[in-house]
Amino acid sequence: MFYVSIFFQYAAQYLKTRLTYRADLVVEILSDLLFQAVNLIFILVVFGHTTTLHGWSREEIIFIYGFFLVPYAIFTAFFNIWDFNDRYIVKGEMDRVLTRPVHSLLQIVIERMELESLFGVITGMAIMFYAGSRLGLEIHWYDPLVLLIMVIGGALIYAGIFITLASISFWSDSKTDLMPMMYNIGNYGRYPVDIYNRLIRFTLTWILPFAFVGVYPSAFFLGRTDWYVYAFLTPVMGLLFLTIAVVLWNQGVKHYRGAGN
Amino acid sequence: MGNSAVYLEMIRIRFLMMLAYRTNYYSGILIYSINIGAYYFLWQAIYGAQESIQGMDAAQMTTYVAVAWMARAFYFNNIDREIAQEIQEGKVAVEMIRPYHYLGVKTMQGLGEGLFRLLFFSLPGMVVIWLAFPITFSDNFAVWGFFFISILFSFIVNTQINLLTGMATFFLLYNTGLIRGKRVVIDLFSGLLLPISFYPLWAQEIMQFLPFQAISYIPSMIFTEAFTGTEIYQALGIQLFWAAVLIIPIQLMWVLAKRQLIVQGG
Amino acid sequence: MNVVEVEGLRKEFKSYSSRSGLAGAFRDLFTRNYQVLRAVNDISLHIKKGEMVGYIGENGAGKSTTIKMLTGILTPTAGRILVNGMNPHKEREKFVRTIGVVFGQRSQLWWDIAVQESFRLLKKVYKVSDDAYEAHMGEVIATLDIGPLLDKPVRKLSLGQRMRCELAAALIHNPPLLFLDEPTIGLDVLVKMKIREFLKEINRKYQTTILLTTHDLADIEALCERVVLLDEGKIIYDGRLDQLQKNWVEGKQIHFEFHHPVERHALIELSGGADVKWRQGERCNEWIAGIEGDEEAVSQLMSRVIQQHPISDVKVNQASTEEIIRNIYEEGLTHG
Repeated sequence: MFYVSIFFQYAAQYLKTRLTYRADLVVEILSDLLFQAVNLIFILVVFGHTTTLHGWSREEIIFIYGFFLVPYAIFTAFFNIWDFNDRYIVKGEMDRVLTRPVHSLLQIVIERMELESLFGVITGMAIMFYAGSRLGLEIHWYDPLVLLIMVIGGALIYAGIFITLASISFWSDSKTDLMPMMYNIGNYGRYPVDIYNRLIRFTLTWILPFAFVGVYPSAFFLGRTDWYVYAFLTPVMGLLFLTIAVVLWNQGVKHYRGAGN
Repeated sequence: MGNSAVYLEMIRIRFLMMLAYRTNYYSGILIYSINIGAYYFLWQAIYGAQESIQGMDAAQMTTYVAVAWMARAFYFNNIDREIAQEIQEGKVAVEMIRPYHYLGVKTMQGLGEGLFRLLFFSLPGMVVIWLAFPITFSDNFAVWGFFFISILFSFIVNTQINLLTGMATFFLLYNTGLIRGKRVVIDLFSGLLLPISFYPLWAQEIMQFLPFQAISYIPSMIFTEAFTGTEIYQALGIQLFWAAVLIIPIQLMWVLAKRQLIVQGG
Repeated sequence: MNVVEVEGLRKEFKSYSSRSGLAGAFRDLFTRNYQVLRAVNDISLHIKKGEMVGYIGENGAGKSTTIKMLTGILTPTAGRILVNGMNPHKEREKFVRTIGVVFGQRSQLWWDIAVQESFRLLKKVYKVSDDAYEAHMGEVIATLDIGPLLDKPVRKLSLGQRMRCELAAALIHNPPLLFLDEPTIGLDVLVKMKIREFLKEINRKYQTTILLTTHDLADIEALCERVVLLDEGKIIYDGRLDQLQKNWVEGKQIHFEFHHPVERHALIELSGGADVKWRQGERCNEWIAGIEGDEEAVSQLMSRVIQQHPISDVKVNQASTEEIIRNIYEEGLTHG
């Protein structure tokens, strides 16, 4: 209850701040839309030159992309920690965070949230509905529930990977550009992973499990029964990766060296 | 140019700084390899049974992707974000009183970073990729020469765009949206993700009037020998054109920015 | 009951050194040199409720590191640490409710929003009830005279205004223990005095224990009866400030301002048998003699010097705290 009320306090402050810089807010939403469009354009252009991708049709690939956007939007809205090392470790903001009586990771999540990113949920849903109707998919009573679980699972996987990367900063004093680059890798989970070789497929499934934020859960809605096992592993992987990440984070905080030494 | 020693020093310092971040170095190689690997398989799947698309065969496409990413390591830098940050923290006002040109220093820092990545990152990376994937390197010495001239222009044009986006912070105060948007636009319109010849004709026509193709498309096409003969000179001419034209808005913005700085007092 | 109980506290950092030159930097990619630095070296410290303690040391002496361990920001490498009856790092979230922290160089407030919005957020974070907030903060806001600033965003405040707001923010939950790390850095004299008055006031009223680090010894003189001196991670003095003044340097200081430049060796020759330390003053041709001995020795030295070198001014002072502390750091603890 305490955390919920704190969250709303921060959210209210956040909105006030954002509305002070309206121009940037608009540009940011537009750039988000542009980002979403870019990947869609990529798919459309590619399918201008081919009809199937390893047995998957254009609409199916578009559907996967639509699904991906939903957990991704939730992730970017709440886990804006790609500059954690610079902002909190090098500049020492972590000092301040650690003097407050709220879990440090949670404070950073609510301090840095970017609620406007949630627009991606709408875009994603729209793309899914468009592709789904073109494919003639039926909506069952349980689909919204499954979607919710899959989306949460996917967002947790993203969160887990990026929290883990952020935690590295507690041990390593050098800056890394790892996180910005990791965003690229997230894109590859949106294509049927059997197009890749075993190594990349394994990586995208078990090490950096971005395939669970794209093709695997979508396989359920697309009726690709041979991948159902993976689809239902999505929430499990999400919880697993988040747990690992939080444990690492808590360990990392003990290694925090403080700023300006 | 008494200042050239200063600028050379800037390149050297940035070079050393990059070398100091070793986690960055190792993880960078790993991530670029995954990127290129994933794109390789993606394009294999897209080609499927087709021999060639838009006059490029699968092997050329693989080379295109690999070279585009390796060239990106050279021309890519974050000076837009650095400039934005320095403006927000009021450090630019201090930089103004130093005996060098602020934008020149930023460019040189970017160049130091780029040279580092080219030597310690792209070159070894290329060898790894050459071993792992069927990539064809040209045996024509001239092609390599043109390629290096071309990526130098890539660096110049990309850096110029970065300077513009960075300086926009003077007028926008908060600038993350624009910086993010710019990055997305460059990824798409520069030909990093897709050769520009793959786009529908109407889109290609629009892109011809934009500076972005000078960043990635042209050097990659030269390297894969998809451009030959006079096409190469034309392409280099386009790069030169943009490198020259972009100086105008940069100067303009710089003058305005200085005025803004005086008014706001940093 | 002690508020702070610290026994054998130690903090080590690994410090990496880079080799020089390009070849060195390239070697650093594969193996790096490092050494272990002991920033805080087996410190023991006990602070009673209601005490105001000044924590002094040069840059890098380990002041901030100690404070950060006491506030739960850093984990100690070794030692026992109990603050407000808790282990700060182990029970961090519960513990930090019982302390207030002000870092002079770092803002606790949200940059873009009005001060009172920051206060409201912190009030929620620290679960302060409306009644408690009204009763306590009303007074804090009045004493610090920040009422008119409350509806301004932090980024529009001057440093002095911001610092007063920071102090108020650290007191929202009326903590029994307050850590202040360089609270007066960069402030002008009037703001400094206001802050000192305020700290005395809350210490008197709520028995708030205060641990303070500062470069400005006037802060310490105004506030603290007890000082702890730190050097290279070790405590070299822990006791009353007036004892420090009494025991350390009994002597006096003579400030000479000469008409002409004077060489050090010429002055040393004039010292005769007396124990005199000469050092150059801040002004042109100013020399300061630290002399240990009675008034007789002082007047003898003065007359010898003045006969040889024409002067424009001369003053005799008791050594200041700053002087004493400088002496301790320069020459170590040889006396007393």
